[in-house]
Amino acid sequence: MSAEQVPNNSGSGQQANQPFNQTNQFQQQGAGFGFGGMQQALPNATAVLVLGILSIVTCCCFYGAISLVLAIIALVLAKKDKVLYFANTGFYTESSYKNLNAGRVCAIIGLVFGILIVIALIVFVSVFGFEMLSDQEALKEWVEQMQNQQI
Amino acid sequence: MKGLLTVTAFILFTEGRGFIYWLEKHLWACPFKNLTGIDCPGCGLQRSFVALLKGDVLVSIKLYPPTLVLLALVLFTLMHLKFEFKSGALIIKALYICATAIIIINYIYKVYYQQLF
Repeated sequence: MSAEQVPNNSGSGQQANQPFNQTNQFQQQGAGFGFGGMQQALPNATAVLVLGILSIVTCCCFYGAISLVLAIIALVLAKKDKVLYFANTGFYTESSYKNLNAGRVCAIIGLVFGILIVIALIVFVSVFGFEMLSDQEALKEWVEQMQNQQI
Repeated sequence: MKGLLTVTAFILFTEGRGFIYWLEKHLWACPFKNLTGIDCPGCGLQRSFVALLKGDVLVSIKLYPPTLVLLALVLFTLMHLKFEFKSGALIIKALYICATAIIIINYIYKVYYQQLF
């Protein structure tokens, strides 16, 4: 849903004036039961929070790719919900907005972490090369050589 | 009846030695480690979790220090989504940053002391 469809009243106490508008709006969305003065949670707040946290838990599954995907999905959802929240500030509960923000921060950190892992992988492969990396003993010898040089 | 079936299937599935034994034999291999032979920042998480299930907290911390924080983060998030604590979002953010910091410090330590293989 785009921002233009949302009735644009930014004051927090104003939603009681036009309950019918919003009832129709949210029945169309299938988002629940918005009747006058009743605040409801943002539709994607929980999902964003869960995805953001999963992005760090799965940080190293599959070269960090899963973490990256989860974080990007969370960020897209968070952006959508933020537009929704600011278009109609009083209509959504503040606690869900806080959850959304926490999820967004988590997703950003997860995204950065995933990118770091991918960069680390690329650096390892480019420094050592596939042949050396698949040969454990050569790698260990190399490390020992480096240690001897330092001493 | 349903419960009995579940228990039977479970015992067959785990060869009668319990869930932890089954879990120990079915850990996912790390693709990063398969490709490069070097530990990734998440290597040790599953071993450490199994150790935690067995009750060896010290072994778990030795294998992978962030496990406890990550577990606390996930459990707290579930609690928060269920009960909606007042400053839950803030605590989640703090725990998350803590977990990330511990993971990064752990990896830097591993690289520095060459425990990567």
